[in-house]
Amino acid sequence: MKTILVVDDEQNIRFLYKEELEDDGYQVTVASNGEETFKILDKQIPDLIILDIKMPGMDGIEVMRKIKDEKGDIPIILCSAYGQYKQDFRVWASDAYVVKSADLRELKLTIKEIFNRPKVNGPGQNDPSNY
Amino acid sequence: MHIDACAIYLVNESDGLLHLKAAKGLPEKARHINLQIGQGVTGWVAQHGTSLALSEAMQDPRFVYFPEIEEEKFNSMLSVPIPADCPTLGVINVHSIARRMFSLEETQVLETIAGQVTGCLRNAIQFHQNQMTLKEIQILYDISLAVQSTLKLEHGLWIILSAITMGEAGGFNRAMLFTLGEKNQQLQGIMGLGPDSHEDAVRIWTELDKKKGNLLQWVINEAQRDLHRDSQFHNFVCGLNYSVIPNDNILSETVLQKKPFNITKAREHPLVSQEFADALGVDSFATVPLIAHEEVLGVILVDNRYDQKPITEENLRFLARFTVYASWVIENSRLFSKLLDTNRELLSMKEQLVQAERLSALGEMAAEVAHEIKNPLVSIGGFARRLKDKMADLSQKWGDNEDLKSAANYSDIISGEVERLERLLKNTLIYSKSGAIETEECQLNKLVEEVLYLFKAGLYEKNINLITSLEADLPLLNLDQQKIKQVLINLFYNALESLTLGGLLKVETFQEDYAQKQKMITVRVEDNGGGVPQEVFENIFNPFFTTKHTGTGLGLSICRKIIENHGGTIRVENQLGKGVTVYLHLPLQNSPDYYKN
Repeated sequence: MKTILVVDDEQNIRFLYKEELEDDGYQVTVASNGEETFKILDKQIPDLIILDIKMPGMDGIEVMRKIKDEKGDIPIILCSAYGQYKQDFRVWASDAYVVKSADLRELKLTIKEIFNRPKVNGPGQNDPSNY
Repeated sequence: MHIDACAIYLVNESDGLLHLKAAKGLPEKARHINLQIGQGVTGWVAQHGTSLALSEAMQDPRFVYFPEIEEEKFNSMLSVPIPADCPTLGVINVHSIARRMFSLEETQVLETIAGQVTGCLRNAIQFHQNQMTLKEIQILYDISLAVQSTLKLEHGLWIILSAITMGEAGGFNRAMLFTLGEKNQQLQGIMGLGPDSHEDAVRIWTELDKKKGNLLQWVINEAQRDLHRDSQFHNFVCGLNYSVIPNDNILSETVLQKKPFNITKAREHPLVSQEFADALGVDSFATVPLIAHEEVLGVILVDNRYDQKPITEENLRFLARFTVYASWVIENSRLFSKLLDTNRELLSMKEQLVQAERLSALGEMAAEVAHEIKNPLVSIGGFARRLKDKMADLSQKWGDNEDLKSAANYSDIISGEVERLERLLKNTLIYSKSGAIETEECQLNKLVEEVLYLFKAGLYEKNINLITSLEADLPLLNLDQQKIKQVLINLFYNALESLTLGGLLKVETFQEDYAQKQKMITVRVEDNGGGVPQEVFENIFNPFFTTKHTGTGLGLSICRKIIENHGGTIRVENQLGKGVTVYLHLPLQNSPDYYKN
């Protein structure tokens, strides 16, 4: 079973994602900020991380940089309420970028797409033209 | 000294003849004697400046007989010049009936008297000239008062042309006024003043004769009647239009050489076309440039079509003095209307900017709020969808149930409404970004010049020295011209506001490299207005701070937004006690695709 870590400062969002993704057959853990994220990562490395960008304290982009630097190339989907981060070159380091919506179909499709990607350990994975 | 008659001849300035001015012992009709220099004994003395004593005057070869003087009565005469540096002022003659020789002493006595007369004459001439000058000044003063009585360009000019054509003042028969278009360099006839025909001339001059003594009031009243517009001559002048081209026509030449011309043989003059001479109907005329701030504003042309009097240097000098007034009237009116125009334009631009800034501040707030709303919406909508799914599961388990159907319907409504809100927020955010710029290829320097032109009057009024250094041949940029203009206006406005006591405004454009690889064009705006206090400087890009602080704000936050929408940056350097320098950096290459969404 694939494992997913959901990082979001909004409790209800975490709850929503957890319920929906578990229904789809994933094993889901949640964290509400960067600190909690690393506590979890110290114990277990998930197959995918869904990261909210706008969070108090360390923001999602920072958390991602730290994960990629310290924990290796775990696939990461960055989320934000609006598309305003698309032009930020730092975001390109993520594996996908999804604008939040009550309709979770796009997120779920992206998750499937990432799990189906051929495992390549190279820079090509971070090519922004992938999304 | 035994003498029977005495006569004083003086040289008349205007015709150069010796006029008999005073006589004793000569018949009354002698008063009309005019002699040429060199004519007769008197003329000889005037010409040579030496005295002549003749015991048999009529026998002298230089003698010319004038019956009016009845000189046959006299035998001897002594003629001495009234000395002056040059030429002779006149001659004093004494005659005696008895034939006699004038002694050396007698000659010397008369020469001494002549010397005294010189002094008297000099005083008299001086007095006369002073009187003339006084009268001239009085007229000039009257005219200047009359000109000040009106703000209307047309009235002011009419008063001046009236003065030029009035007998008491300029005395020309007709005057024509041309103004030089600032942009197209065309001389356009705008006013003509003068009689339409000989009959008209006589009528006007008779009328004018009656107005003597109350010139000022008459001119002011007349100016307000706008009657000149009906005149044929005025309409003729308004139909004239000439391009300013070197060596082409006399009006152009007056503009280009900035000096008056007194044309006496128009039809032979290389710069006067046959057509022009025919249209004027004269062979002599004069042109004078109208100059203010070393700039030629137009030309006045005068002629004496109806009395054919030659135009003297004295006439021209007088005319030159009047043109100074005309120049100022035109310049004032131009500046005034330009000031009104630019103020209006600047105000509206400034207003737009303030408006935009408020909107942008609002937009930022809206974005913040929208962001806060989005997360709860995702939860609401997300769980509503889940609810609906659960209902579907339940109805499968329990079969059809009305309550379940209603509940599913309710959750449908919730998720539908959430979707609607999400769409609305998305559109609102796109709108509030206000990044919508409409770019087209343009020359940055041209924009800078256009905006600076708006400030011309303001800079002049505040005694601000403008130095521009715009790099030639800058590549074309893709800009939203209107928005970039707003930015420039704002920057210049801020500079002007800091330069309350005059000073220096320096505007430069140039191309440079950024990080050694990206090409960009920079606009640099520097003032020496002393800079802004540190606490203001720290907040210059904060829309809330500035708008609260001064009521209008520095507008820099919106400037930054506009420049950033062009893919550029804005940088401000503040040197307390010196001034502020603003840099606008605009990228030469297009921004990448991911920037535009």
